[in-house]
Amino acid sequence: MSVIRKSLFAAALMGVLTANAARAADPGITDSEITIGLFAPMSGPLAAFGLDALQAARMWYEETNKKGGIHGRKIKVIVEDDKCVPNEVVAVVKKLITVDKTFIVHGGSCTAAAVAAQEFVTREKVPHVMLNASGDGAVIPPTRYVFGAFAGTQRTVGATLAEFAVKELKGKRVAVIAHDDDFGVANSTTFKAVATALGAQVVAAELISPRVTDVTAPLLTIRAANPDVIVSTAYPGPAVLIGQKYGEFAMMKTPLVQAIQGIPVPAVYAKNVGNDAALTNFYYGSPLNDLTEGPKQQKWLALYKQYYPDRTPSGFMTYGLPSAMAVTRALEKAGRDVTRESFIDAMETLNFETEVIAGPTAFAKDRRDGARSSIFVKFDGKAHTLMPGVYTWDGKAGM
Amino acid sequence: MYGAPPLTRLAPLALLLIAGFVLPLLLPQYFLYLGNFLMMFAVLALGLDLLLGWAGQFAFAHIAFFGIGTYATALLNVRLGVPFVVGMPLAAMLAGLIGLAIGFPATRLRTVYLALATFAFAEAAQWVFNSWDKVTGGPDGLRIAAPNILGYRVGTDPTAFPVMAVILALVIAATMYLTTSKFGRAMCAIRESEHVASASGIDVRSTKAWAFAISAVYAGIAGGMYTLFQSFVNPDVFGFQQIVLLLSMIVVGGLGSIPGALIGVALLGLLPEVMRTTMRGLLIWQELVYGLILIGAVMFMPRGIWGFIAGRKGSR
Amino acid sequence: MSPLLLQGVASGIVTGCVYALIALSLVIVYKSSDVINFAGGEMVMLGGYLGMFALLWLGLPYLLIFPFGALMIFIVGALFDRVVLTRVVGRAIPGQSILVAMIIGTVGLSYVLKGAVRVIPYTEEVRRLPPFSSGAPIFVGPVVLQHQDIAIVVAAVAIMAALWAFFSFTLVGKALRATSQNPRAAALVGIPVRVMSMTAWGLAAALAGVAGILLAPKLLITPDMGVIVILALAAAIIGGFVSLPGCVAGGIVLGVVQNLIGLYVSSRAISLAPFLVIMIVLLLRPQGLFAGKAAAKKV
Repeated sequence: MSVIRKSLFAAALMGVLTANAARAADPGITDSEITIGLFAPMSGPLAAFGLDALQAARMWYEETNKKGGIHGRKIKVIVEDDKCVPNEVVAVVKKLITVDKTFIVHGGSCTAAAVAAQEFVTREKVPHVMLNASGDGAVIPPTRYVFGAFAGTQRTVGATLAEFAVKELKGKRVAVIAHDDDFGVANSTTFKAVATALGAQVVAAELISPRVTDVTAPLLTIRAANPDVIVSTAYPGPAVLIGQKYGEFAMMKTPLVQAIQGIPVPAVYAKNVGNDAALTNFYYGSPLNDLTEGPKQQKWLALYKQYYPDRTPSGFMTYGLPSAMAVTRALEKAGRDVTRESFIDAMETLNFETEVIAGPTAFAKDRRDGARSSIFVKFDGKAHTLMPGVYTWDGKAGM
Repeated sequence: MYGAPPLTRLAPLALLLIAGFVLPLLLPQYFLYLGNFLMMFAVLALGLDLLLGWAGQFAFAHIAFFGIGTYATALLNVRLGVPFVVGMPLAAMLAGLIGLAIGFPATRLRTVYLALATFAFAEAAQWVFNSWDKVTGGPDGLRIAAPNILGYRVGTDPTAFPVMAVILALVIAATMYLTTSKFGRAMCAIRESEHVASASGIDVRSTKAWAFAISAVYAGIAGGMYTLFQSFVNPDVFGFQQIVLLLSMIVVGGLGSIPGALIGVALLGLLPEVMRTTMRGLLIWQELVYGLILIGAVMFMPRGIWGFIAGRKGSR
Repeated sequence: MSPLLLQGVASGIVTGCVYALIALSLVIVYKSSDVINFAGGEMVMLGGYLGMFALLWLGLPYLLIFPFGALMIFIVGALFDRVVLTRVVGRAIPGQSILVAMIIGTVGLSYVLKGAVRVIPYTEEVRRLPPFSSGAPIFVGPVVLQHQDIAIVVAAVAIMAALWAFFSFTLVGKALRATSQNPRAAALVGIPVRVMSMTAWGLAAALAGVAGILLAPKLLITPDMGVIVILALAAAIIGGFVSLPGCVAGGIVLGVVQNLIGLYVSSRAISLAPFLVIMIVLLLRPQGLFAGKAAAKKV
């Protein structure tokens, strides 16, 4: 081509490119579609945490599309499996952003994975909305691009347990048993701080491995410390072991409160402990606004059954909804000319009732953990009794 | 087969270097990330192969040295402001020293016991990474500041890629020299039969201990490489799963051969990505498929893929 | 002795017998094939699930689920040896070690078993096998023990005694021992070495499966419960890795030490205990605490 032709061609190209650029400043947005990169563990040991939550989020997006989408655009979803392994999460996020070019990334059921991806999304200036991950390390301290804790941080878990133990159960000598991983350390640190601030004495704080197969020693130590309330934030397997040992050692005169992460399905927990006598003084916490199968949750369960008739959802299914609701609300608020930055600005103004979790979902300029509330339920192996009150962490205690 | 490697064998390394500088201009970050990951694993695998494939020592403490390398390089940078070009060699030397310290008592142990003792050491190291909150950040992990190489800021995939390629090329070249040197011959002799090696005048204990140390230095270097392109490290990275993955890589690729180790890294490193994209509706079957691949590999190619190919070619 | 200490020791003995049962399985495999069976934990897991299946779906009486589970997993172990391991061994080039390849084979088996079980949606929740007899706990002084705990200890000792008798007095047992000591000589005197290898693997697998059924009421069944194999390895090492009574002794030592560390040091240090023990024992007494002098393995 001659020089003149080349320059004309180049000019024309530039014209076309800039014209398009002015209209679609951010990737993942076209006239008719917004593309969202959705990811969660869908295989491996933690699939139970992620699969149903991800499907619930998809379900919400589909419902939104059925109602006409957002400002005339339908939501398109690209789904990836991250197995909750930090390396895989980083790979998946990089793929979604640099290859699939999604508008935002929405996903993550595991905290370490969220933290691993944080620097990248911040550098690339892509909003990352977590799915059901607590995400402590990535939302506290808050950074612009990462939103999380839609069912509460682990600090919330620790703080609300302490409030319940001291205020409702009138505990003066409290004991906590948690794991020695990032969750457990956050749980126990906040628990200890809040309990002490409320005037109670923490007489025992046991940290156990998530792979523990025998809890005799920690339970003996706790028993020897003579607490009047015991609190546990163990995962499902160890939680059952704790419940069993608690029963074996006939410790029932001391109430035991178990955080939700260890008791996704209370009926299964009771069956596994295999000893209803152990549950005469047993409570569990939950970030939801009702029992998992309670009246307020029924509409979500029914909707899920419509979309996925062959699957019985795990206890964490509805946890996937608040984040998807936040995304669609923020997209609505940001208007038709939404960009990644205006999306974030809109997210920061959110403060709404999800009808899924206890308490509101809220963000602010300096707040990136969406939920801070918990309810408690007394459970005797058969009947659930909702305890009064919604307990909320103030966002400061224990920091 | 012994003696300094001819320049023709070094030619592929030039290709690696060229790719290292050109690919970041062409590929999206996702592929560069995978590439960085594989290059780091290649250094790890070569180091383990030296100990396992060349010297015949069934030692699995490798991942502990990887962790030491990573945490040491990151901490030197974040806490003391030590630049990468100084920090990584220091970290690698630290790993090497600990490797040497482990190497001497380890030489008294036979096969199974050596494997189990070193495996226990690796698990104990992971426990330390997880529990020494003040230094390593404990279970919450450590954020890694972007390293600085003589003014060139690294920390993203495109910027790290050429540096990783250079380091890998140097490591491969070093491995070539090492395996064809007198030390390399000594390692092979010990692998075949310690008695005969000893009778031939090789100091078995010292060679074994140095093999440990050198292998640990490799792992330490890989740890430094980790800090080049990752922003966060936590103890979960240095666990049982990684040891198994490394082991599988060099066994499937072919023990005791440089091409074998590299093939194994490429195959098993990319396998999760391949499975993830090809098995969309069947994600839950990934574990099963992975197990079947491992079993299939040892059943049909117990000398590894490279052993299979080289066997076909006739020469070795 | 304080009641705390007594309970710690008693519970430690029970947990130790848990490790010992699995360790027995690992040692039998090692004596037969020189290989560490990294799928041992998954065989335990499979035993637990098969026991549940037999009890809850097939409706078998509790005592029968043991032979059922044992038989099924015997087949798994024997098949694995016959199909996979003989192939690997058969392709060995003299002078080149294929032990690592065999170990990778067992790792592959562990993923296959775990992956296959995880595909079944029933396994998503943590499950528990109901115990054999659930009555009121038994009190020995200030120490609390469950029926299942006693069952585990009795089973561990009984199985070990049965194995000792099997290896010392029966023809098959003696043939197995001969094969493990010197395969060539064994072949020379007419022992079918391949069949012996299959039998050893089948037996070890069945042991692991039975351990799974015994332990499931205590440990809970998840597809990931195979991680317990590491503790069983520690128990086997303490015992010397070549002696069956050593496994039981090693398991008990490990269980008690873990509880003591948990009570008197910190709960956080419990997970370090098995690895520290392994390193110290191998450093000071590579042959383990209970074997005789360090013997040279066959050349």
